[in-house]
Amino acid sequence: MIAKEPTKPAGDRRRKTKESTGRRVFGVVNATALVLLCVVMLYPFITVLAQSFSSAGAIKAGQVSFWPVGFNIDTYKAVMSNGTFWRNYGNTVLYTTVGTTIAMVLTTTYAYVLSKKHLKGRNALIGIAVFTMFFNGGIVPNYVLISALGMKNTMWAIVLPGAISVFNLLVMKSFFENLPKELEEAAMIDGLNWYGIFARIVLPLSKAVVATMVLFYSVVFWNDWFAAFLYLDKSELFPITLFIRNLIAGASTSASEGAAAAGTTTALVSSNIQAVTMILTVIPILCVYPFVQRYFVSGIMLGSVKG
Amino acid sequence: MQVTTSRETDMSDIFGRKPFGMTRRGVIGASIAASSVFALASCGDDGGGEVDIDSQSKGAMDGFAADTQFTATEAFTLSLLWTEWPEVPIKDSWKFFTEIEKRTNVKFELTTIPFSDAEEKRSLLVSAGDAPTVIPLIYTGDETSFVSSGAILPISDYVEHMPNFQKYVEEWDLTDMIDNLKQADGKYYMLPGLQEVSVPVFTLIIRKDVFDDVGAGVPETWDEVREALVKIKERYPDSKPLADGFEAQSLLNYASHAFGAQAGWGFGTGMMDDGSGGLQYTAVSAEYKEMVEFFRGLVADGLVDTDSFTASNDGSGGGEVSEKFANETVFAASGSAGTAIEFVQALNETVGEGNFEVLQIAPPGGPAGQVVEPRNFWNGFMLNSEVAESEHFLATLQFLDWLYYNPEARELIRWGVLDETYTKDADGTIELKPEFSLNAYNLNPDGETDIQEDFGWSNPVFADSTESRTLKESYNTPTFVEYIDSVLSSRTPRDPNPPAPLDEMELERASLLATPLKDTVDTNTLRFIMGQRDIAEWDDYVAELEAQGLADYVDLLNGARERFEEENS
Repeated sequence: MIAKEPTKPAGDRRRKTKESTGRRVFGVVNATALVLLCVVMLYPFITVLAQSFSSAGAIKAGQVSFWPVGFNIDTYKAVMSNGTFWRNYGNTVLYTTVGTTIAMVLTTTYAYVLSKKHLKGRNALIGIAVFTMFFNGGIVPNYVLISALGMKNTMWAIVLPGAISVFNLLVMKSFFENLPKELEEAAMIDGLNWYGIFARIVLPLSKAVVATMVLFYSVVFWNDWFAAFLYLDKSELFPITLFIRNLIAGASTSASEGAAAAGTTTALVSSNIQAVTMILTVIPILCVYPFVQRYFVSGIMLGSVKG
Repeated sequence: MQVTTSRETDMSDIFGRKPFGMTRRGVIGASIAASSVFALASCGDDGGGEVDIDSQSKGAMDGFAADTQFTATEAFTLSLLWTEWPEVPIKDSWKFFTEIEKRTNVKFELTTIPFSDAEEKRSLLVSAGDAPTVIPLIYTGDETSFVSSGAILPISDYVEHMPNFQKYVEEWDLTDMIDNLKQADGKYYMLPGLQEVSVPVFTLIIRKDVFDDVGAGVPETWDEVREALVKIKERYPDSKPLADGFEAQSLLNYASHAFGAQAGWGFGTGMMDDGSGGLQYTAVSAEYKEMVEFFRGLVADGLVDTDSFTASNDGSGGGEVSEKFANETVFAASGSAGTAIEFVQALNETVGEGNFEVLQIAPPGGPAGQVVEPRNFWNGFMLNSEVAESEHFLATLQFLDWLYYNPEARELIRWGVLDETYTKDADGTIELKPEFSLNAYNLNPDGETDIQEDFGWSNPVFADSTESRTLKESYNTPTFVEYIDSVLSSRTPRDPNPPAPLDEMELERASLLATPLKDTVDTNTLRFIMGQRDIAEWDDYVAELEAQGLADYVDLLNGARERFEEENS
């Protein structure tokens, strides 16, 4: 609802020939506020972008804000020729793809089952899922479990534990509940079984929520570093997020724990390398977002608020 | 339906869309620490089962002695916790592991952890009973939290099998310091990196040309620092010449020693020698107050860039301080040799190369004399207690003794293979061959192959540990060597505080008491210095600490000190 508001004045303006002063003032204030908000959001990104094309010295001297100073693309070349960077990038793509696929299969099927009110034991099934939102074993027991299952140092440790997000599951469940029952009944009369109904009727009608969930899951998998940090002990298996975290947080930690622990080789990773790596990592998500975003609002609204 | 809706709202708020609903470091640290308690309880103590070192001597050398090459009589594999620095990833071209294996018959099997969260992951691995045998990069104190779990080896029981260690502890006069590593049970659980000489890493970095220009020269005491700052302020009225990019923690650390106190990074438990063998809480001492008053005076006269004290530490030594250095509004700031290089880089952009001189000076002296922090160890290692059941136990001890304490091994780890990557002339001067570089120390920047990045020599996991003075000076810049010289020739390290190791219960109580005390100290120290609190309220501040259980805390630590003294005298 909130997201729709800003577009209203534009629509109104077209219809009316003359606007009241109040409305015009509202339009101006609104536009100014949104532009300012936009600048606040974009500024850090633009700075990082500018830094990625600047020289390390200029960044240190604090000369870089909107435009690159000491323009160079050598850092891009250096980062892009780094084997570890690409290997980890590849891992992220793999984990995200496999993770999202598994998550979508599990979430849609689980949610569909839960949406059937006549199902016996439905409450228990919901309870099992919701329980995990409030209670979990904690980090060390989880770690011991994953180890014992033999998933440590495999992709499964990354993609399986987070395969069902209960929040997404419940959003999807309520979306399915709102689909007209008559469609399914008609399909059943025409001879489709439950699997057929799910695959050929329900899913095609749920594109909005499916797209939203794909986006949710893929962003989570793309950004996740924590599971990898816990369960992976080989740098060739690390996702790109862990690589970046090491690059950025690592540089900060070295000095903040300085007196006690500073190695004499706290050769800091220069700021432009950090910037380049960030830019290269954020690009794919940045490209996907605008295309999926239109489903985003409708998907989440349909699922959660209606009914 | 309605119920679901409201739940969803709550859920999205509480849990977001993150797998475990948590990503922040603080949370991780706390959670790992919390869960460790349970996990450790299940690990239990092994009860100190007897170790028969003779039957566990597979691969060990007979008559292994100091300064000799260790070569296992039978090859074996040793698991190792490897911290991956972002700028030094392991490459296929690395010769470090192959050369070590060639010389010693020992092959490392790595568990790699990212440097960014190395401590958290280390806690997790040790707590889960999943830690590799060798856990490097342990600084004194890091081992304390693992002691009670029985997960790490009381290595003091086995140092008799480590001839190099014993030799250099003796030769470099470190016996008393080693005794200070003992825990409440009278054993120590880590072996540190031994330093023949130890100088403070962080100290004051000054624009020497400006200090000379205003006729101040290099200050030897804090009073001289003050005079110099006043002169600089006259010349550059818009400047606030002194800064600290580490939230004042670094400045207070090295300055406190000159005043006979302990502060900032070096605050530690807050307890220090009271001169009569007991311990007193430093933050209520007259010396501490004198230090606070000194810096309060500097702030009042506009000589300190107070913004830098409160700006959050961005990690690089205060990027903002570099900026201010570059823009000539700050002329003296805390930092290490690395920070000095950053300042130089920033100044190159603004003042121009060759137009300035940046110098890391020996920490200025003060009322307590020309003193600096007590001598320090550098990082060492601890061992997973399971190694005591290994058939290669003795060989492992001998190997680590060689790796960490044999001078030849130390030189190998730092420089690579003699006559392959470096040469050494008759008087022991080491030089890299022209085709090789060591960029981390800006040596031979034109060399095609970097011995650190491409070969793994000088890697931060092992290279910075034990060092003789000659080895330390061999790779550092002449300015840093001068700095070492100036500290050693003109400053005396303070005596370490008497040890007061706490047992498990005491440790718990102490940390409950110490945390709020330290918070009060940190906040008020800065408030007094910045002039936000009247110094006349000093007694109120002391009363606030007392209300937080200061007396209990001091008694607790003094009790531990007395017990330790009795048991070990």
